[in-house]
Amino acid sequence: MTALLIKNFLRSKGLLTGLLVLLAAGFVSLNIGKYFLEKNKEIIEKTAEYQQKSIARNVAFHPKEIGLLLYYVRFGLVNEMPNLAGLSIGQRDINPSLQSVTIRNLEEQKYTTDLQNPLYQMLGNMDFSFVLIYLFPLIIIAFCFNLISEEKEEGTWSLVLSQSANPLKMLRLKMLVRYTSVLVVLLLLLLVAKFYLVIPFDATFLAFILTSILYVSFWFSLAWLVVSFQKNSSQNALILLLSWVMLTIVLPAGINAITVTLYPVPEAFSSVLESRDGYHNKWDEPKEPTVAKFHQHYPQFSQYRHPEGKDYSWLWYYAMQQMGDDEAATNAQAFKEKLQKRNTISSIAGLFFPTIHTQLSLNALSLSDMDNYLHFIEKLEGFHEQKRLHFYPKIFTDAAVSGEDWGGFGLDYFKEKANVHWLRTLFPLLIISGLCLILAKMKFRKNQMAG
Amino acid sequence: MRITILKLLSKLVWSSKMSNRGTLWLIGIVNVLVVFALISGFRNLNQQQKTAEHYSHEVRERWESRPDKHPHRMAHYGYVAFRQRFPLSFFDFGMDSYLGNAVFLEAHRQNTANFSEASLSNGLLRFGEISAGMILQLLLPLLIFFWGFDLVAREREHGTLRILLTQGVSWQEIIIGKSLGLFYLALSIFVPSAVLGLILLFFSEYTTENPQSYFRYLLLIISYLVYFFVLAALAVFVSARAKSSKSALIQLIGVWLFFTLMLPKLSQVVGQNIFPTPSKIEFDTTVEQELIKQGDSHNPNDPHFRALKDSLLAAYKVDSTHKLPFNYAGYVMREGEKLSTETYKKHEAQLIETYQKQQNVVRLTAFLNPYVAIKNLSMALSGTDYAAYNDFQHQAEAFRYKLAQTMNELQIKYISNKVKNSADKNATISKKNWADLPDFHHQFLAFGEVCQNEILSGMSLFFWVLGLGILVKYSVKNLKAF
Repeated sequence: MTALLIKNFLRSKGLLTGLLVLLAAGFVSLNIGKYFLEKNKEIIEKTAEYQQKSIARNVAFHPKEIGLLLYYVRFGLVNEMPNLAGLSIGQRDINPSLQSVTIRNLEEQKYTTDLQNPLYQMLGNMDFSFVLIYLFPLIIIAFCFNLISEEKEEGTWSLVLSQSANPLKMLRLKMLVRYTSVLVVLLLLLLVAKFYLVIPFDATFLAFILTSILYVSFWFSLAWLVVSFQKNSSQNALILLLSWVMLTIVLPAGINAITVTLYPVPEAFSSVLESRDGYHNKWDEPKEPTVAKFHQHYPQFSQYRHPEGKDYSWLWYYAMQQMGDDEAATNAQAFKEKLQKRNTISSIAGLFFPTIHTQLSLNALSLSDMDNYLHFIEKLEGFHEQKRLHFYPKIFTDAAVSGEDWGGFGLDYFKEKANVHWLRTLFPLLIISGLCLILAKMKFRKNQMAG
Repeated sequence: MRITILKLLSKLVWSSKMSNRGTLWLIGIVNVLVVFALISGFRNLNQQQKTAEHYSHEVRERWESRPDKHPHRMAHYGYVAFRQRFPLSFFDFGMDSYLGNAVFLEAHRQNTANFSEASLSNGLLRFGEISAGMILQLLLPLLIFFWGFDLVAREREHGTLRILLTQGVSWQEIIIGKSLGLFYLALSIFVPSAVLGLILLFFSEYTTENPQSYFRYLLLIISYLVYFFVLAALAVFVSARAKSSKSALIQLIGVWLFFTLMLPKLSQVVGQNIFPTPSKIEFDTTVEQELIKQGDSHNPNDPHFRALKDSLLAAYKVDSTHKLPFNYAGYVMREGEKLSTETYKKHEAQLIETYQKQQNVVRLTAFLNPYVAIKNLSMALSGTDYAAYNDFQHQAEAFRYKLAQTMNELQIKYISNKVKNSADKNATISKKNWADLPDFHHQFLAFGEVCQNEILSGMSLFFWVLGLGILVKYSVKNLKAF
């Protein structure tokens, strides 16, 4: 019977078309991912080149004063993007994967955005995760919504009942054929992706694959549950489509709306004002307190003093810049905590909704989520601090510009390694699918196979 | 075509669907959803406006309370401009969440507008946002298709279609009549939301400052009505042509999926590929390279500004810039600001033009895809499209330029040529001057301009009505009664 069912399935034009649509959309999405990765690579290569040129030009322009030179010189930090991000672009098209900063105050620099056409951000990318989360379920729905009802409506159901001792077994087989065929397409896409996007086969990719498989399994379990209700085709279609609309559109948007309302982020604006005043107001204030505060922050630089009677020194200037960061620090911290809170609440809410959970998990595995961005910002702060500590003593002693190896300042890289939380990633999907299957089993047992 | 027959047919559609409990439930649920979307959108709008207003006031206060100082220090102290929301933006969020909200304005450089809602969000936002606009553009069409797929096909399957036709009802009457019925069903969701929207608009404290909101709202409602009618007619037409009601359903859902979810995403990728844009670093470097050629205006001895100096000395018949009757450093900086702003604007205009070309790729698909047409119209009328944002950026840049140049003028006029640098006590001017700079006020685009921007989208909706009309008129010969 299995052979017959497979044959029947392969002969059905609609089912084959469905699989082909998935395959085609999948290939398009892989191409989009490839393009995104290449563009990012190009930006980094170009920036590396620009940075070298720009440093050389500035050194030639300001060869005498290292303090003045460092007003201009920018150092870039790259948030390295794993190739896996080509499959799940996430927030990578919104948050820049590269920041170039001078050693002046960081608050005014760290939120700089890249140039982007906002229309594209709004429409979003058709990456692999989109195809997986939106299209796969629709095709699964189309495959399964009339599993029994079709036979009932075409009058073949009574034939099945009379000829087979266990009609449920036949249904299971029908389902299994569909499940296997969709899984084959999914795995084929991931296999192509592995070579096309050059994704290393490691624990992260394995978790990515398993999450995708479980997500597809969830939709089959849900479809199986709906089939177990034994309603007619259009009712099944309505229930499944409604679930799809709720899970992919309404609920995520609703949770987002709630998060935004619960946690507004006025800190974003106030930290801009604090850092602006923290720095600029110092121009009009006596120099001693500013320098004293600077010494308090960096006791190791206490031996450097502002020359008395002078109305300008680089020590004072960079102390003022430092105050821009120091005075906005509380606000900036509150800002980060607020973002963290937003992130936490939506990932907790996501645990209950496979669509959200899958998207957030895939983003996390691909390092294209908010956590990665926050880690990058932290790293950027460290990077900026390290540059300051390196240059401050040179500026304060007015070291010769030529004493520094300027050619050695290439781009720095922040390379995060994705943490695979196996249990947290896979368990929610397993539980929900399992629940659907158990409920379906109870339903089937309760209303037996009716004619 | 007879009006009575149309009335009869449309009424039949209405009463048969309304007798179904499921339909009533659906209408109820979607209505609740729209009400939730409108009210939460309205609350968010007010909250964001309040926050922006609060910080705008603070920026202004801090600006005015700066002590006496050198005007160029004020030019560097700068200003922060906040983007205002159009009163109607609660109806359709459009790009709002992807646009920067605050931009720091200072002398010599143009900063990016930062802190878009999207940059403060994790991936959830990318599933889309719940706004009345989204529900009406995306979900209601799905409902229309769901209610409409079987309207003709099922009658054919049950054999009642033949009876209708033999009774002398024409194909056109059947299609138009049933489309009208379906359209009325859509109104059961649209009318309550339109009324609630109007009430919210009426009670919003920001509407009085922008009476054009009402005109925009009226046009918005008309556009949506056309959109729903087009979709209703499309559904009935597909139902009439399909072999079976099941195939009609699959076709319509395929159409919905392709047009609302896939085509917009695909067309944006195509647009990006045809018209590539530079990254920020690339853009900045190009501008910087050109600026370097123009010289450093901070440095009065810069060789590129020497020609200027020589001509001034000759004109005033003095031998040193110290003897000029005005502040020379300020004069040079004014020239420098002018040049650098011109350069920046030139490159920015190129960038915006490329963005617009990219957007036109998406815009043109409206002729294939009514969803894109209504989306663009709705965003533009709600003041949440790119044109509105671009206008804000222009206003902020114009204000930045004015601020820098006003400070330069003050320096030219009041600062002596003898002072060594800006820290000198004689190099300060009274803080009274700060208040003379008018505050930044973000003005919204005029109604006429908004309409002009969206002519193409309006035309494509009209084109759809026309196209469906022609189809209904001429392709009925091929429709089968059984």
